[in-house]
Amino acid sequence: MTPLLKSPRGSDRHGFKKTHSWVVFCTLLGCFFVSSGCNKTPPASFRSNMIEATKQRLSQSQEKQVATVLLAMFGTPDNPVVLAETGLDLEKLTLCAGPVRSDIVGRKNGLYREHCAHCHGITGDAMGPTAAFLNPYPRDYRPGVFKFKSTERVEKPTHVDLVRILHNGIAGTSMPSFALLSETQIDALAEYVKYLSIRGETELSLMRAFFELDDDAKGILPETREFLIGEMLLPASEKWLAAKESQIPVPLISEGVDLVESIAKGKALFYGDKANCVKCHGVTGLGDGQANDYDDWNKPIVEIDKELRGTRERIKVTATASMSPEELAEHVALQDWVTKLSQVLDGDSLKPRTVVPRNLRHGVYRGGRRPLDLYYRIYAGINGAPMPAAKGAVSPEDIWHIVNYVRSLPYEFDGELGADRPLIARERF
Amino acid sequence: MNKFSGMFQSSSLTFCFSMVCAALCLVNSSASADDWGTIKGRFTFGGTPPASLEIKADKDIEVCGKHKLINEELVVGADKGIANVVIFVRDKNVKVHPDLAKTKSEKVILDNRDCRFHPHVAVLQTGQAFVLKNSDTVGHNSNVATIKNPASNNLIPSGGEVSQTLSSDEAIPAQVNCNIHPWMKAWLVVRPNPYATITAADGSFEIKNLPAGELELQLWHEKAGFIQEFTVGGKSEKVAKGRKKVTITPAGIDLGEMVISAGAFTK
Repeated sequence: MTPLLKSPRGSDRHGFKKTHSWVVFCTLLGCFFVSSGCNKTPPASFRSNMIEATKQRLSQSQEKQVATVLLAMFGTPDNPVVLAETGLDLEKLTLCAGPVRSDIVGRKNGLYREHCAHCHGITGDAMGPTAAFLNPYPRDYRPGVFKFKSTERVEKPTHVDLVRILHNGIAGTSMPSFALLSETQIDALAEYVKYLSIRGETELSLMRAFFELDDDAKGILPETREFLIGEMLLPASEKWLAAKESQIPVPLISEGVDLVESIAKGKALFYGDKANCVKCHGVTGLGDGQANDYDDWNKPIVEIDKELRGTRERIKVTATASMSPEELAEHVALQDWVTKLSQVLDGDSLKPRTVVPRNLRHGVYRGGRRPLDLYYRIYAGINGAPMPAAKGAVSPEDIWHIVNYVRSLPYEFDGELGADRPLIARERF
Repeated sequence: MNKFSGMFQSSSLTFCFSMVCAALCLVNSSASADDWGTIKGRFTFGGTPPASLEIKADKDIEVCGKHKLINEELVVGADKGIANVVIFVRDKNVKVHPDLAKTKSEKVILDNRDCRFHPHVAVLQTGQAFVLKNSDTVGHNSNVATIKNPASNNLIPSGGEVSQTLSSDEAIPAQVNCNIHPWMKAWLVVRPNPYATITAADGSFEIKNLPAGELELQLWHEKAGFIQEFTVGGKSEKVAKGRKKVTITPAGIDLGEMVISAGAFTK
């Protein structure tokens, strides 16, 4: 037997000796036929948002309070629960939840775990086992912020937006197209993403609510319907229901506008002070204008990292040989805090990465390559990312000119930019 | 009514004291209904203040390079006063003095000027007009990271402005950034009443016309978060979550010089 086959975890758990490995084999065979009863793997559970819990300095019992409320509101990854207020469709969620299996009519179940969880994580926290190897990292649904959509910047994507992403994938990232799944399956997965997102946003609200409690609440959240549903759940779910009403208006470009003329106007805007695209996307359009910014998903991790370094510095500065008992106690508390911060950074986050402005010379557009998609991106900016909204500052007609210029960038004559011109592939490699 | 309370203040001190007692006994009762008081104090830095760090503009150098830019995260004056400490009343249902009701119709302007935000900390009331404007010759954007209000991030071209109102109060000041010029950072305090302020360059602050009686203040600084501890007259005072209970009297109260130790500024 190779050490790999010994599987100490399995034999220990079942209490069998090595000599009885055939019994283990039979048991496993039995498991294969009778899937219930001897499956000892613990049921899947949602992970707590430890980054936020740490940021809010929640105690263990407070973390538990949040988990208990969430369990009642949303159930478990195997058995989702929905409250009417969320507007979610339990039937669709059931198709996605739980382990991969077939139901009584032979329909595939456990779609989320089959197709999504390895990157996006069972909780939708973008901490799946493959996440660390991907660049960009997968999307963390919990803050309820989505980039590529047809709605106003701060609004949720529409159901159709999510379905489009699932169908097309995201060019230039590890997100593949799921076009081979049936429409019903894609539709169900979009619903499940909303479910994880609403759950994640409710969790954030609950964790943040402790701070605002009065002292006499003794660190315990109210258990009233008004608070839990009205103040915590509804704000996270209402916006999904209203997404359809916040579609970005798209006036068409005036008729008779010449494309070459429009591209020239777009170029002037791109480099001009009004639209200011050049500042981040760079004079060459290679996306090298701004390299030290973080997006909203990485910022909390950067903050914790900063606090860790600050606290370590404080320990170093205040440590002396002759500390009073109080000083010593404070010192120990700070050490514990450092341990906690490092644990959370190691176990609940991936190394933060700076946000990269899009290289517009590739002709690869994450949110879709239709001119309409580029219009949405420029009009509303990219929620969660530094890209600001041009809405209000740049007229719809001018946004179309920028779209035309951006679409021409991968093909732009490379002599025009002089010394700043991008090198063509032949020269770069 | 206001004149009336003023008369009390000057004419009868003893009456004042009895009013305070009444306020203490019957919190938020009608007994203290028409008395108002001022609170003031000063925050100073305990230890050797850090040298102010100059920022080298690496964007729009021809414009931003002309201005002397410093890191404004922790500004300590010559007399150790800490600027930009935020002080606000935590109670959301606090009674508002009639003179202050008007303030809600005033605009709060956060200006992009000389490649920095003016002011560094803006104080806003819910429902009050909040104007982000750009007085520079270069373009800016303002990324407002509010938590309870929808976060916004608008391009603001030279000479342009964006006006909005925020409907929810924010428990924690929200950060405002310019992504084009990453050194530009400001904070936005959003409260449901006018009782919020920041310390001046010398570390001093004053909030006028607070309702007499017991109130809870919140003390916050961007490098320290909610201030947990300070020293007054050599005596240490712990204020968990930055909450300090005070009793406002018509005679006004002075919290004195509150020293925050250098170690608190870890953020």
